[in-house]
Amino acid sequence: MDTRTQNVSLEDLQNIVGEQHAREAAAEDAIDGVEPRFVAEPGSVEETSALLKLADGAGLAVAPRGGRTMLHLGNPPRELDLVVSTARMDEVIEHVPGDQVVRVQAGMRLGELQERLAGSNQMIGVDPPEERAGATIGGVVAANSSGPRRYRYGTVRDLIIGITVVLADGTVAKAGGKVVKNVAGYDLAKLFTGSLGTLGVIASANFRLHPLPEAAQTVTVELADTAAAGQAAQAVLHSQLVPSAVELDWGEDARLLTLLIEGVAPAVEAQAEMASFLLKGFGEVRVLSDEEAENLGPLEPAGGSAGADEVTVKISAPLAELTGVLDSTWGACSRRGVTPRATGQAGIGVTYVSLSGGDEEAKVQVVEELREIWVRRGGSVVVREAPAAFKRRVEVWGPVGTRLELTRRVKEKFDPRGILNPGRFVGGI
Amino acid sequence: MASKRLIDQMTAILGPEGVISEREQLRSYECDGLMNYRVVPDLVVLPETAEQVQKIVKLCHDEGIPFVARGSGTGLSGGALPVEAGVLIVLSRMRRILEVDIPNQRVVVEPGVINIWVSQAIADEGYYYAPDPASQIISSIGGNLAENSGGVHCLKYGFTTNHVVGAEVVLPDGSVVDIGGGKAPDAPGYELLGAFVGSEGTLGIATKITLRVVRKPEAVSTLLAAFKDTEEAGDAVSGIIGSGIVPAAIEMMDALCIEAVETAVHPGFPEAGAILIVELDGPQAEVETQFQQTIEICEEAGASEIRIAEDDAERALFWKGRKAAFAAMGRISNDYYVQDSVVPRTELGAVLKRISEIGREAGMRVANVFHAGDGNLHPLVLYDNDVPGEAEKAEDVAGEIVLICLEHGGSLTGEHGIGKDKMKYMPKMFTTDDLNVMQLLRCAFDPHHLCNPGKIFPTPRLCGERPGPFRMHPVQKAGLAENF
Amino acid sequence: MDNRNDSLDPRQSGNPYDAMDATERRTDPSTAQDQAGAQAVGAGSPQDLPDDTFASRGAVRQTVGIGRSTETGSYVFPAFDDHHPPEKDLIDDCVHCGFCLPTCPTYVLFGEEMDSPRGRIYLMNKALTEEPMNDQMVRHWDLCLGCMACVTACPSGVQYDKLIEATRGQIERRYQRSPQDRAFREMIFQLFPYPNRLRLAAAPLKLYQRFGIGDRLRKAGVMDMLPKRLKAMEALMPMLTEQQEVPEVTAPVGEKRRRVGFIKGCVQRVFFSDVNSATVRVLAAEGCEVVAPKGQGCCGALSVHAGREEEFQRFARNLIDEFEDQGLDNIIINAAGCGSTLKEYGYLLRDDAEYAERASAFAAKVRDVTEFIQELGPVAERHPLPVSAAYHDACHLGHSQGIRRQPRQTLKQIPGMEVREIKEAELCCGSAGIYNMVEPEPATELGDRKAKNVLNTGARMVVTSNPGCMLQIQASLKRMGESMPMAHPMEVLDASIRGEPVETLLRQ
Repeated sequence: MDTRTQNVSLEDLQNIVGEQHAREAAAEDAIDGVEPRFVAEPGSVEETSALLKLADGAGLAVAPRGGRTMLHLGNPPRELDLVVSTARMDEVIEHVPGDQVVRVQAGMRLGELQERLAGSNQMIGVDPPEERAGATIGGVVAANSSGPRRYRYGTVRDLIIGITVVLADGTVAKAGGKVVKNVAGYDLAKLFTGSLGTLGVIASANFRLHPLPEAAQTVTVELADTAAAGQAAQAVLHSQLVPSAVELDWGEDARLLTLLIEGVAPAVEAQAEMASFLLKGFGEVRVLSDEEAENLGPLEPAGGSAGADEVTVKISAPLAELTGVLDSTWGACSRRGVTPRATGQAGIGVTYVSLSGGDEEAKVQVVEELREIWVRRGGSVVVREAPAAFKRRVEVWGPVGTRLELTRRVKEKFDPRGILNPGRFVGGI
Repeated sequence: MASKRLIDQMTAILGPEGVISEREQLRSYECDGLMNYRVVPDLVVLPETAEQVQKIVKLCHDEGIPFVARGSGTGLSGGALPVEAGVLIVLSRMRRILEVDIPNQRVVVEPGVINIWVSQAIADEGYYYAPDPASQIISSIGGNLAENSGGVHCLKYGFTTNHVVGAEVVLPDGSVVDIGGGKAPDAPGYELLGAFVGSEGTLGIATKITLRVVRKPEAVSTLLAAFKDTEEAGDAVSGIIGSGIVPAAIEMMDALCIEAVETAVHPGFPEAGAILIVELDGPQAEVETQFQQTIEICEEAGASEIRIAEDDAERALFWKGRKAAFAAMGRISNDYYVQDSVVPRTELGAVLKRISEIGREAGMRVANVFHAGDGNLHPLVLYDNDVPGEAEKAEDVAGEIVLICLEHGGSLTGEHGIGKDKMKYMPKMFTTDDLNVMQLLRCAFDPHHLCNPGKIFPTPRLCGERPGPFRMHPVQKAGLAENF
Repeated sequence: MDNRNDSLDPRQSGNPYDAMDATERRTDPSTAQDQAGAQAVGAGSPQDLPDDTFASRGAVRQTVGIGRSTETGSYVFPAFDDHHPPEKDLIDDCVHCGFCLPTCPTYVLFGEEMDSPRGRIYLMNKALTEEPMNDQMVRHWDLCLGCMACVTACPSGVQYDKLIEATRGQIERRYQRSPQDRAFREMIFQLFPYPNRLRLAAAPLKLYQRFGIGDRLRKAGVMDMLPKRLKAMEALMPMLTEQQEVPEVTAPVGEKRRRVGFIKGCVQRVFFSDVNSATVRVLAAEGCEVVAPKGQGCCGALSVHAGREEEFQRFARNLIDEFEDQGLDNIIINAAGCGSTLKEYGYLLRDDAEYAERASAFAAKVRDVTEFIQELGPVAERHPLPVSAAYHDACHLGHSQGIRRQPRQTLKQIPGMEVREIKEAELCCGSAGIYNMVEPEPATELGDRKAKNVLNTGARMVVTSNPGCMLQIQASLKRMGESMPMAHPMEVLDASIRGEPVETLLRQ
């Protein structure tokens, strides 16, 4: 490797985290084909701080890593020397059920945390599909992952109430606290949400919790066309229904809009009835079995059945433009022999589209066309997952408009030497 | 006093009607809702457009003049306190609702728009804007954004930060950026909007704000329950929250507060040691079920009386009583010092007990009105400014209360902000490193420290190298900070 | 310095009646610096400084109180003297919460702190303790409409009504207005409180109106050449109807339930004599013997709102003399502006050894006519009037007297009557006593805003209890090319009791 890593030996790392917690990297540690040299697993905030201080001094490029479920997000790394894994920092620091707040280390797996909270009839209102693949709290925060229930509970930014971070130079800082209502100081927890490890390593985070709903029903309507999809979604949004999720499933074999209704039993019953009544004007309405309902949500994370050259994009658009999102996607794809399949949060304005078939060039053109349309209309098209070669052709985030300069200044202040995840974020940050 | 040259330059931007430079006129801007601190600004400017704000800020930046933005001037932490030798940018004339977009559930406003106007503008469509600070009839959206205002209904619906989805911001160097997605969610890049909301006017001035508005609930039920004391009422709160109910609002007032409110707005509250106002909203069937549960929990906790609002008018009366609580203190005391600390809900009982002890020991009356659901206390320390030493004593008592709350794992402020008022307590809640890291953000936005300087942080951190010819920083010049 | 004398006050330059809206409330920036400079050197007495550096030209007409030392050790000479200045205790009630701002008409128009109740009180405090009186201060107080919406809005119970009245008294005594301003105000006060003079002045108007001269002149643009304040007066003049005199005593219909006095008002008597006749008929129908003493003059409301203390006291004593020996159960007034002042007689004459107690006794008997009817309980039969009416709260009824329910109830008791609420009901229409004549521009803006809100109700007619509001809203509607029948609640009730068809009301 290059000269930077020659200044640091494995032993230096092991001196900080212990012999068994630092190792030479293997092929499986590569991110978008870029292999790091070392992997270290600090067991505490102090160790994380010491690691970063060392890396910063030596100019090592660092990638923080949690459950490895979202490493495909972002541009290919410009450089990569050291992976800092939070796997060993996986404790619940504090959970007082009466306060409906939890403080948890970054390496805790979301799924495991939810299970533990369920013991007190509580949950964090975040349900990204990566949860099933072992996503960690730190990863979910850094990648700003979300799932169907964001319709009701919002995203990480709406639920996170405090954070402890380790900056590139080893500085440990916290912001927020363990109370839900708190405006003391800047809200760095939000700033770090979705920052993809480019501002610092998240050591722990605090969340507000919600009670687990006692009952649930899923109502789905089969729609004739994209116009009906848009109308049905609008009808739900402007009604007094309070679903937890409003999900779209659109492809060759499915044209569904699905409502997840949760709450106390009598209310779920009544709401499901109202929903059925409201939706039957748009197509055939069914109340789903629990098993069918399990399949709600965005596309499964890669590594499973998806083809190796499959590309997944996330289209964010004003929520009244669902029909337009679908039409523009299908239009762009059909002209180029690409097969799209869409899922997403129809009540939010987020649509995930997987593109299969067609060659790379065709998919590049589809993404560029969609991006041209939706950026102009105030939205964005982000490539969530794609082969590294594809990502080297298409910048994954798309333009960030007038705030690029400010974004760079923020990065420079927090990570002046640019050692954290270089190249992977917006604008080449 | 502002130089003639500056006045001329501002007049060129705003016309004479937008520039205030007369001494006694300037003096009416020397404080906001918090009267404990007063600074006469050099100049007050009243822009009417975003372009004018941009030009004013650019001019201030080029001249190295600090500036402070102000909305309706109702803040309770001195956030809009002018800065000496600085310009006060008053946004009360930027009060147009620019766009109502119901299909996308968005309303776009200028910063001077009054909070309640938003809900009024969309009421006919069945929508409303959820954050409802007690000052909602006058506080501006721009001010709400700066302070991340809460309100009685934020327990269920969240704070301003959960409802502002986009902002056009004039940065302290006069450049204009759009942050947040606005109409579309999840804009790529850093969550700058989340950091900007609640930054108390220290990162820039929002000139156009996109709000998320929500559908009115199918049903709303409100009750008022009277208890022997705050402890009993606190038990009821724990019971309600513990049962898995998420009330739209749950508010507590103690006896002293009830007395003041009763004198001021005659809501007909029962005589009691404490009362709770609990509001549930949502789907009819859910509200009905949980409302019944709530009543039972209140009864079990020992409620001596439970009143249920029969209609909107009665509900409005309950809330009128609650929302007038601070100002109504004027009826029973010449002056009061209000705190805004937060404690974990489970610590409420212990903290309230300590507060009454502290008050008793100091011989001061302390009234309590608070957002019980989220542990946000508003102890009001009553005093008389005309009695020498009382103001200081009140501040000491208030300070002690703050420290108690921090000891119990709480926060300095739940919704009023740090501003000028609570700056000195910041090191009690945060380490030097914490504060320095926060100021990194400030340095990215405002490297020259011109935008509402002297707020939030007790020790301003300067931001290293500055482009252009060297100028002594005003904060440095005033001896308030060293370059580091 | 000279420059200040020439241009400081817009009233001093050019057309004396020129508008004084927000755009002209600017002064030469150097003045502020001069003042600051003067204070910085710690000037010890007014003689140390040129008059106009320290306070406005007018402010030092009378002795300037006692100098007070400030924290910096310099002496200042506050604007107010010791004769009934705004009370410090009342000022201290203000906790600066700002809840009054959105209901204040001038804050709504200008968005400036100094033109809000909170700002005005803040200035009063400064004027009481440290700042000398000057043109800017007076200007901000002058711009207050006295609508008292802030009193309704204030959760701390600040008695702004008392504060502004005391302030106006100080201004009247201690501040020299420009000759033109003085002349205009004097003209108003020589005219409006005197029904006979008003009637004489109004007579030519009748001809003028009958032949549509106004409309023709307006079309020809001649009106635009008149000074703004006179134009404002012209635009407000109502169509005059024939005078109807109220008899000195009117017998009750059926059994006598009360013996009440009736105050005829000034503007009401001349421009709206129908309203007075209707009121007396209604009172009689409800079983009241109505006494309307011939010698009664003005109640002094206009004077007290303008700080003309002595003039007010003269009027008030006269009125008390006229009514107090008549053996009355109540004293009834149908004009909101008069009513609020009548109810304050006790406070306003508190220094008058001879009258203080009598004034309190008098005030205790005063009732607004709708308040009285609801208190008494209606007995006369109401005939249906199938019509929708927008009810406008006169500020001096709603805000000053807290009477909102009674007039609505009075209307709703009429079968077929639908009462509609006007958006921004708490906001003043801009009439505000003589305000629309002395401050025509903000008044016009407010009037138009009110007229729009009235039209938006879609009602067939407007009902309100104050003659000033009627004139104001009518003028605004006319300017917008609209018209809408207007009536006082008593005219509506009278029509209902007499069983007249609804068309009678809509013709008005």
